[in-house]
Amino acid sequence: MKAMKLDRFSSKRFATAATAGVLAIGLLAGCSSGGGGDSTSADGVTKIDFWGWVPGLEDLVTQWNDENPDVQVSFHRMTGDDGTKVEAAVDAGAGPDLVQLSTHNLPDYVISGRVQDITEYVTEEEEKFTPASWASVSLADKVYGIPQGIGPAGTMYREDIFAEYGIAVPTTWDEYVDAARAIHAANPDVYIANMAPGEIGQWAQEIQQAESSWYGIDGDTWTVGVNDEGSQLVAERWQILLDEGLVTTEQMWTPEYWALVNAGKIATVTYAAWFPIQLAENAADTAGLWKVAPMPTNEGSTNAGDSGGAAVVVLKGAQNVEAAADFASWLNGSDDTQDALITVGGLFPSTTTGLASDALVTEQPFYGGQEINEIYIEAAKNTPSTWVDGPNYGTAQTAITDEFAKVINGEETFLEALYAAQEATVADLEARGLSVSE
Amino acid sequence: MSAASVTKTSRRRRTSIGGGLSPYFFVAPFVVLFVVFLIAPIGIAIWNSLFSEQSSGLGFGGSETLFVGIDNFVRAFADADFIEGFGRVLLFGVVQVPVMLLIAAILALLFDSGLVKGTRFFQFAAFLPYAVPGVIAALLWGFLYQPSVSPIVQGLSNIGIDANFLAPGTVLWSIANISTWSTVGINMIILFSALQALPREMYEAAKLDGAGQIRIALGIKLPMIAPAMLLTTISSIIGTLQLFNEPQVLKSVTSSISSDYTPNMAIFAASTLGKDTHLSSAMAIILGLATLVISLVVLRLTNRSTKKAQ
Repeated sequence: MKAMKLDRFSSKRFATAATAGVLAIGLLAGCSSGGGGDSTSADGVTKIDFWGWVPGLEDLVTQWNDENPDVQVSFHRMTGDDGTKVEAAVDAGAGPDLVQLSTHNLPDYVISGRVQDITEYVTEEEEKFTPASWASVSLADKVYGIPQGIGPAGTMYREDIFAEYGIAVPTTWDEYVDAARAIHAANPDVYIANMAPGEIGQWAQEIQQAESSWYGIDGDTWTVGVNDEGSQLVAERWQILLDEGLVTTEQMWTPEYWALVNAGKIATVTYAAWFPIQLAENAADTAGLWKVAPMPTNEGSTNAGDSGGAAVVVLKGAQNVEAAADFASWLNGSDDTQDALITVGGLFPSTTTGLASDALVTEQPFYGGQEINEIYIEAAKNTPSTWVDGPNYGTAQTAITDEFAKVINGEETFLEALYAAQEATVADLEARGLSVSE
Repeated sequence: MSAASVTKTSRRRRTSIGGGLSPYFFVAPFVVLFVVFLIAPIGIAIWNSLFSEQSSGLGFGGSETLFVGIDNFVRAFADADFIEGFGRVLLFGVVQVPVMLLIAAILALLFDSGLVKGTRFFQFAAFLPYAVPGVIAALLWGFLYQPSVSPIVQGLSNIGIDANFLAPGTVLWSIANISTWSTVGINMIILFSALQALPREMYEAAKLDGAGQIRIALGIKLPMIAPAMLLTTISSIIGTLQLFNEPQVLKSVTSSISSDYTPNMAIFAASTLGKDTHLSSAMAIILGLATLVISLVVLRLTNRSTKKAQ
């Protein structure tokens, strides 16, 4: 190809090449359009982008838009791994104004400056919410979000299995271990529960019940308690159940797991208030055989546990913070929205109005007509407010689920897993320059 | 392309568009995409890997990005699980790549030999799995590996074999099975095309000299498609080091796969779960360099052995 003379690279040629390049870049830019902060258009209408995952939010957003012509909200339903996109979107300036977030992740958002302080706009909101849920959106005396639902725990159990083998439904964890032995002895195919190493929520609710907290604040220093006393108590219990072969160890939400549940091989599932509907959907063949009881308690305590809730937060890019905070307050706190959030959204409310709503206490055919939420309402009242969320929940969670997998594979004990996860969590905070003590 | 034809076409272009600009015009989209999606990300990753997000106290005062030199690389190398992941994918590659290429070569030789009836159908059947996206393939096989829903496990158990495809010791080979299933087809096609391009007269000559089909395959065909074998080997090795989809999907059905099971999974965990893009950038650069080094070593070794053979 010597015929081509590259040495005659004139400015004109460059211009053509550059034009082509600009065109290509234009195409690329096209890929990333959409999103963007709120903007007030010429006619004075504030536009707010809101990302969330609760079912039925579309209808509530429409209701708000009809009632508030000046503040128009557009809703994007989060699916799959949308949650992991939020941070990148915010950093790129293309994030929404409002997003639904697990409260476990809130401290990270505060530290990285991705969420805005809304304290001044929500002073009158606090009284509508339960103290524990309001605490979950408050950090260092500032409010960063509006609570949206909590996850108090209860124990779903197969009434028929307990009746068949003449075993009483356990009310304490000691009785639970005994019941586990009795059930498995009566029928070697049946296990009291499934210990899913990756299902951190089930671990979280039990250690919270035992007044453990992964994080704490001591003056200007974070404390880390992944292996604290409460966690060790829970670890000992599961070590016994695992060592004696009284539990299955499948990952949750898998076909294998649901096959075990449907086959009647798992006698109890202890999980949050949003789980009963999941069970009903995935184990339809077992309708009428389940009941819900309070989760077993630890000796000398009436505590229940909670696997964590969600909040709606105002993100960094939002320009009209007040309008965004107002919408979030209305959505999660207004008396008008509670019934829809409960019935359509399947949320367990974090407001006192919601908790007193008739919509919450309805008979559930799958659970033999039991008004199961009465159990969960009681659990919400009995949840200790000792849990503190801290920075980098993701690292602690990954560390602990990886270590638990090793436990399930017989490579170490739960106690050893807790110490390894503690070390990893502390090391990560230190690597971020945060002040930390164990 | 002869020199004359080049001059002719370039002259024609000159009259229609003006100047010898059109090459740049046509090359520009590629160059821009190449720069934006390959060169720039690498540059950004290298830049990122030298910094760290640092807060103080409780961290609520915000954070600042500090230059930390090679600190992130030191952290990555000190992470035993990350390094272990390299060992795991190397073991995987040493077994899976030869097995997969052997199957692909045998299939390609069979299709080329003319011994098989319905070649088109079987080629299509062998190629089809490649058209299934990696994640979907892993999901499909995930069902076949889970005892309660797997006809394979149940069938084996009926004849007295207690198979556990998801146990800590077997899951790596279950993943190898998925990637072999997925990639045999494309490698078979590459090798088959190389075989089809060989001059047929050589086989005639070999036959006259008394060589059978197997002798022709081993003595003539395979050595002649060595460059294609090298291409498939290197791309398979790169694929092995990048192993992500299959283990990441199977992770949700088994406790035998940790979040840092392969180097790529460790990078994913560090960036999305651990939210440390600086550390994960350093890890990604280490993985990239390891891939480069291993590819060069394989290239060097095979070059030497082909030279020796000649």
